[in-house]
Amino acid sequence: MNIQHQGSTAIVTGLQELVAANAAQVRDEIHAALPPPCVNLDLDLSTLSFLDSSGLGTLVSLHKTLRSRNGTVRLIRPAANIRQVLELTRLHHVFEITP
Amino acid sequence: MTSNATSAVRRDFRSSLRLEAPCEFSAVRSATLQVREWLAEKGLSEAELGGWELALVEAANNAVKYVPADKRQLPVIIEISAGERDVEARITDHTAGFEWPDEIALPDVESENGRGLFLIKSLTDRVAYLRNPQQNMMILQRARTPAAGGPVPDAGRLQAQLAEAEAALNDMTAELSSSYESLVAMFRYSAELVAQTDVKDFSQRLLRDLMQIAEADGAVLRLLSADGKKLETLLVLPEHGRAVLPPVALAEASPSVEIGAARNRQDIWFDAEEPLEKDDPLLAAMPMGNGICHAFFVANQLVGTATLGRLAADKPFTAAQVNLLHTFIDFLAIQIVNARLLDERTATRVTRRELEIAAGIQRSLLPEKVPVCLPLELSASCRSALQVGGDFYDLIPAGDGAVLLVIADVMGKGVPAALFAAVLRSTLRSMPQLFTRPAELLEAANRTLYADLSRVDMFATAQVVYLDPRGAKMISASAGHCPLLFWQPGQAAASAIGQSGFPLGIESAAKYSQTTTVLPPGAAALLYTDGLSEMRNAAGEMLGEERLLELLARAGAQTADTHAARHFLLGRLADYCGNAPLTDDQTLILIRNTA
Repeated sequence: MNIQHQGSTAIVTGLQELVAANAAQVRDEIHAALPPPCVNLDLDLSTLSFLDSSGLGTLVSLHKTLRSRNGTVRLIRPAANIRQVLELTRLHHVFEITP
Repeated sequence: MTSNATSAVRRDFRSSLRLEAPCEFSAVRSATLQVREWLAEKGLSEAELGGWELALVEAANNAVKYVPADKRQLPVIIEISAGERDVEARITDHTAGFEWPDEIALPDVESENGRGLFLIKSLTDRVAYLRNPQQNMMILQRARTPAAGGPVPDAGRLQAQLAEAEAALNDMTAELSSSYESLVAMFRYSAELVAQTDVKDFSQRLLRDLMQIAEADGAVLRLLSADGKKLETLLVLPEHGRAVLPPVALAEASPSVEIGAARNRQDIWFDAEEPLEKDDPLLAAMPMGNGICHAFFVANQLVGTATLGRLAADKPFTAAQVNLLHTFIDFLAIQIVNARLLDERTATRVTRRELEIAAGIQRSLLPEKVPVCLPLELSASCRSALQVGGDFYDLIPAGDGAVLLVIADVMGKGVPAALFAAVLRSTLRSMPQLFTRPAELLEAANRTLYADLSRVDMFATAQVVYLDPRGAKMISASAGHCPLLFWQPGQAAASAIGQSGFPLGIESAAKYSQTTTVLPPGAAALLYTDGLSEMRNAAGEMLGEERLLELLARAGAQTADTHAARHFLLGRLADYCGNAPLTDDQTLILIRNTA
């Protein structure tokens, strides 16, 4: 996983899987890379091959943090299977998803 | 077979796979990937593989997440079997277990957890969670996407239609790829279809979404009647409490725009210049300024018509919106036809003749005579619902005046379940050397039957009681069956005794425990099947074990006679259910110490 900053936006790339085994660690690493001037998060999900309910928890946690700063989490180019999990759990209404 | 700290112990068979993974997230994750690969070799589609992978990950993660520290060294076991029609997975965990909820709702969107069970339920057709003091097992089943036809009536037609449906769906998906909003809706419908059997409910939501996306003010959906002679109204939107539109006959010359579209197999537009005929029945539901009526077909057969309308006469639907109408409605048509085919298949599977054979077998299994076991006395009965029961009981003389009581409930229907009941009965009868040790008897019977049972997707629950008149003792063991109920004079309610293990046919090496209970003079014990405890009254309320415990105490206090007490029980049960129909077999054996 790689985190870069562009102005007030943090950009995360290279996520492979977001599952129970790494969800807490990924959440903490991204949180640590979001010091207060940072209000937006772009998660590049084009490399993400698998997402489970623990991974959904991580996404919700990041969303809540940034919303408290009036920012957003954008999910960028999730594959069809990832998008389906988001839709099945109705979380596609919560995130901005960029095809 | 290999094993190290993080990989799973793997046993591979032709139609099943068993993995024992260390109780860690990363280990169970790689086990699920192995399962996915194995299922891919069995020819599952990409969508099916994705669904199974996620359902298994969720189930296995729970097994790791909630395991107590002292059970962490025990593996999480994933077994999967792939038949021609469906796939079944069993996940064994060593957690304290939980009650599978009746309803599983999504948590608040702000919640960071609580979506696992929802995903499992959404991604499978059936879930069972069996609890046991040593370990629990989650059983997941899902039908395979039909690619090859099985031994069903008119398999060729079915296969052709399914192939056509799939091709049509592919076309639609391509057509829709430009419209993200529609795509989202379609994905959602596809996910819902698994659980959704009510065509009307499904159609209603689909039509509502279509109206919104296509910016329509009203919609009417009609389906061809079963006799193929008229169009019947399924839905009128928006619902303003208007009377249901009466059906329109296809054969007659009619002013109906719907009949016109259905007969000529083409869309009919209407607007201010070409309005609906004055006596078009559609006007009653839809006083629209302009609109379009689309008749839809599957395999060249008329399924129904859908009409979209707008109040304003000068705002016609665009070509893109009409495309949406076609796509949504053709998708709906396939679902309607598939649902009907599925119904037909289910209905024809168990024919009347089969039911008669099954009932005959079941009757032949019941003992002709009640053995004498004084001072203990027995009274038993078996009442079948719909002639297809999987219940039976057996009373086997066991030497020295002792009797072995068996009560069992085979899960499944028709001839296969009845045949299996016969096999179970003979298997138990063939092991008289184990009669005095019911737990070992169940273990041996389970080992003997496991292979056959798991192959045919069946299992049975059974309660076995060795009744020894000397000392008025009962030694009992249960394989997933309703508990043995015990009452003695002076008690206001009976109590459930003994522990239950896995049903027969679930776990090849299942272990059972046995309990010894003494029946003092006047005491009574009851063996029964869940048809009794789960019977419902007219309000749909289940009887439940609590009420049964009270009823047994009342029956015991009412009369010292065993048969009279059983009749008293049956009488109160009949009072309870009133006019509600019998939906499951009701079998019971009452034991009484008449000393």
